[in-house]
Amino acid sequence: MIHQYQLGGYNIVLDICSGAVHVVDELAYDVIARFQNESREAIVAALTEKYHENDEITPQEIEACYDQIKQLKAAGKLFTEDTFAPMAGDLKAKTSGVIKALCLHIAHTCNLNCSYCFASQGKYHGDRALMSFEVGKRALDFLIEHSGSRHNLEVDFFGGEPLMNFEVVKQLVAYARSIEEKYNKHFRFTLTTNGVLIDDDVIDFANREMSNVVLSLDGRKEVHDRYRVDYAGNGSWERIVPKFQKLVEAREGKNYYMRGTFTHANPDFLADIRTMLDLGFTELSMEPVVAAADDPAALTEADKAVVMEQYEKLAELMLERDKEGKPFTFYHYMIDLKGGPCIYKRISGCGSGTEYMAVTPWGDLYPCHQFVGDEKFKLGDIWHGVENHAIQDEFAGCNVYAREECRDCWARLYCSGGCAANAYHATGSVRGVYAQGCDLFRKRMECAIMVAVARELAAQ
Amino acid sequence: MKHINTIETRDLCESAKKGGCGECQTSCQSACKTSCGIANQACEKKESK
Repeated sequence: MIHQYQLGGYNIVLDICSGAVHVVDELAYDVIARFQNESREAIVAALTEKYHENDEITPQEIEACYDQIKQLKAAGKLFTEDTFAPMAGDLKAKTSGVIKALCLHIAHTCNLNCSYCFASQGKYHGDRALMSFEVGKRALDFLIEHSGSRHNLEVDFFGGEPLMNFEVVKQLVAYARSIEEKYNKHFRFTLTTNGVLIDDDVIDFANREMSNVVLSLDGRKEVHDRYRVDYAGNGSWERIVPKFQKLVEAREGKNYYMRGTFTHANPDFLADIRTMLDLGFTELSMEPVVAAADDPAALTEADKAVVMEQYEKLAELMLERDKEGKPFTFYHYMIDLKGGPCIYKRISGCGSGTEYMAVTPWGDLYPCHQFVGDEKFKLGDIWHGVENHAIQDEFAGCNVYAREECRDCWARLYCSGGCAANAYHATGSVRGVYAQGCDLFRKRMECAIMVAVARELAAQ
Repeated sequence: MKHINTIETRDLCESAKKGGCGECQTSCQSACKTSCGIANQACEKKESK
């Protein structure tokens, strides 16, 4: 299977199953489009007619082009057959029973009252709660006990607002560091925060201990303050931006993301990206809101057309800024063509419910943070482990080939089947697909690969 | 005339033979928390590339 598209002045051809990426001229683009369905003679005849006013494109040249494509096919770089489907279940099963990442819901409470919050202002449709050190410590022990031979273990301090339970965060990190050597593990901690409680102590700690910090900022002040307000209804932008700037400056190159959400209020999110850049941030992520269709924040079909255009303009902006010596990162356009994930990862997906689980403040286990609060998805708890094997099996069976809609999608090995929670909320099944998200994902991938191609060619 | 410029990429078919160490980052954990995608993940198994 191939996917071919034109963007940014490039004719790009992706060979889906080998992962090969080709930049081709117009003639090759046309030959490739016909290659699988037409004879050599028919292609030469049709394209001789099409290019009859172009002296350089003779029948001999078309034949030479055809032969180049034939060679690439023989070399496994074009029209490669999909041989992965039969091995998909086995590949994912290779890591069954191993847990390598936990999302610790350190605080089911929040000091902001954002109406678009999937976690219902941090409460996850339940009571406000803080995780105790004892529960957090047991969660870390549980992770080590179930991590098998995995060396790198990930723990995200999540909420609600995790800094509302900062002392426990610090205690847990200290505990984890104290047992790393004994168990030959390395903890990678991340912190996702709205920024309200950031102070010098937090900055010093985060920059010492957190391999990544995710800082929630929606971009323009008026956009951010529309949803991200405190309980008195006051916007948070003025309070948090200087704190984020101070934290990022002190981070001295360590990973961080400014993470925004765009909604029906700002499908023109590139303006928010520009605001983030103007504020001095360079590691950026903007996510489309995931909301029910009748939610006022939800993106409409008209918004989607705007968003698609914004993604293309974002790619152009990245390349312009490269030339100006002011590059920036957009999370969804990060793609390492030479060293990206292997086929195991591309088939298996995010690992929710198997390699990755969320832990509530009282120690219950859920497949991921987005299922917390929905009792039927409770897997078990950190003392007794997974007990709801029926639910876990559903997640273990999630791979890109388990979703009918994904089988013929060119982006399947860049996406791995998408988010189980989004699928569940859109279709009622974790093995469904969130179609609106798919359209946006495919556009992002086209843009990401175009940017990668442009950078590669500039380097050549 | 050269009509095709092939960009260097990781061969996925080859990675099926020796991939799957499992040390890579959990996709959703790192920044987005709302939409899975794996294309932007790094491979941790340096020797397999």
